[in-house]
Amino acid sequence: MVTGRKVAVVGMGGSFPDCADINEFDQKIFSGQSLIREWSKAAERDKQIRSKVAGYINDNDLGIEPIYLVEGYDWPETFIDTRGRIPDINLSTADLGCVWAMNGALDSIEMAGWTKEETQSEMTGVVVASGGGGNVIMRNAWHAFFELGKKSRQAGSHMVDRAMSYREAANISCLIKNRGVCESIISACATGLGNIGYAYRLIKFGLQDRAIAGGVEGTSLETFIGFDAMQVLSKGFAPAESSRPFDIKRNGFVCSFGAGIVALEEYEMAKARGANILAVIDEYFNNSDGDGDMFYPSYNGQIRMWKGLSANAHIKPDVVKVHGTATPVGDILELISVVDTLGEEGYHVSAPKSQFGHMLGAAGSVEFIVALLMLKNQQVPGCLNSDTLNPELENFQKKEGWQGSMKPAAAYRHLIPQETISKEINQVVCLNYGFGGTNSAMAISRDI
Amino acid sequence: MDRKEILAGLIEVLRTIRTVDPAKLENVTEETDFMTDMNTPSTELINIAAKVEQKFDVEFEDEDIDELGSKVKDVIDLIIKAKARTEEERGN
Repeated sequence: MVTGRKVAVVGMGGSFPDCADINEFDQKIFSGQSLIREWSKAAERDKQIRSKVAGYINDNDLGIEPIYLVEGYDWPETFIDTRGRIPDINLSTADLGCVWAMNGALDSIEMAGWTKEETQSEMTGVVVASGGGGNVIMRNAWHAFFELGKKSRQAGSHMVDRAMSYREAANISCLIKNRGVCESIISACATGLGNIGYAYRLIKFGLQDRAIAGGVEGTSLETFIGFDAMQVLSKGFAPAESSRPFDIKRNGFVCSFGAGIVALEEYEMAKARGANILAVIDEYFNNSDGDGDMFYPSYNGQIRMWKGLSANAHIKPDVVKVHGTATPVGDILELISVVDTLGEEGYHVSAPKSQFGHMLGAAGSVEFIVALLMLKNQQVPGCLNSDTLNPELENFQKKEGWQGSMKPAAAYRHLIPQETISKEINQVVCLNYGFGGTNSAMAISRDI
Repeated sequence: MDRKEILAGLIEVLRTIRTVDPAKLENVTEETDFMTDMNTPSTELINIAAKVEQKFDVEFEDEDIDELGSKVKDVIDLIIKAKARTEEERGN
């Protein structure tokens, strides 16, 4: 067994729906507010789109001003940063998600207190990604090339850098000028946590001393309609009641957008310079279901994930921050894999998607930030809309060969607070899963 | 459309290129060089050409772009040439 070095979280930042900054996000999350609103871009499509709600950030929110070259075109040419933090040359290579990513990186570095020399060191890496492609950027290419039959240059010379898969990492790296690793780890809805996990390993095994890590999902109607087409999005509830993890009436997730970025640092270095340590990462583990199913969650895969997480680390969480998307199958199967691992007492389950929906590639990192805030506030935010848990067994529990708990979801009501509660929180386990059967888990602790 | 009007239209296009310093657009003449006088990043030159095509409703030949000089007058020359060709093709 290789133990490696300890890794601390020393900074965080991001872009969150209906919040001016991370302080407003903190306040709204722990006072039990929903960040989900009706999304006019979906609603105006009327019967073309089933779901009408989202946790969204407009192009011109957060001090960002989009520049439209041609009136009536629904894709910005570039952006202006009215706060003056990001130079125009960096904005010219960014899509909206990259702007959020760069802002989150700057906030994280400021909170971490890294010097210019530390930030620009060969031992500082950037590991950030988004789940989706550069859809909005591609609109112009589709329109100009396929519909209007124009030459390729009408797509603009920034189609590649603004739409490529690792655009967020590339843009952050060009902005902060680090000299270490610059990569993206992409694993659908596990992307946000996966990037933090990979960055943790880079530091743990001595390849880097510092890293900017996280996940992003830029606002995109294309992303939204992809999931809407699968009929997996919440439908028929008022916006604040749309995301209902564990509730018997849940009928899908709320598609949301945002960014969560954190600064990681080798623990002894952070300690030595007197950094404020938001958390220590105890362990990260990820695996695959191995059952050949792209979409359906796997109880056995999740149980193996928990075993892997616990193999070399002391895992006794006070809170399990679950993936909890509010799709009919996922929530209860995940709840049972938690209960079958940890028992029926001694911890709480938190499902932050109840408040802001599913941020896809950003979900793991934004929810990781919620976990950091739980450690700071010593509070667990309630699971909104988890009004009624099923008193009957789920269908998968009735199938032959089912090896998990034979109790219904309602038996675990006591684990899922409906309002914010205060308690001593020393360790939080964060869980995220993605299409393709990928499972990821990270345990973090208070630095005491 | 005379050269003066084309220059004014070209400056309008340049104002939408965020990496071009707006202060440098105050004294643009036909002799201004995109590369040496305005420090325009090379990746933006093709964007300027594409936007000029939209603005003036013309389409440049690839060879014209390949041989394009870096001065403002070169772009104006090209616009006039492309406009003439377009009108010819449209039978005016």
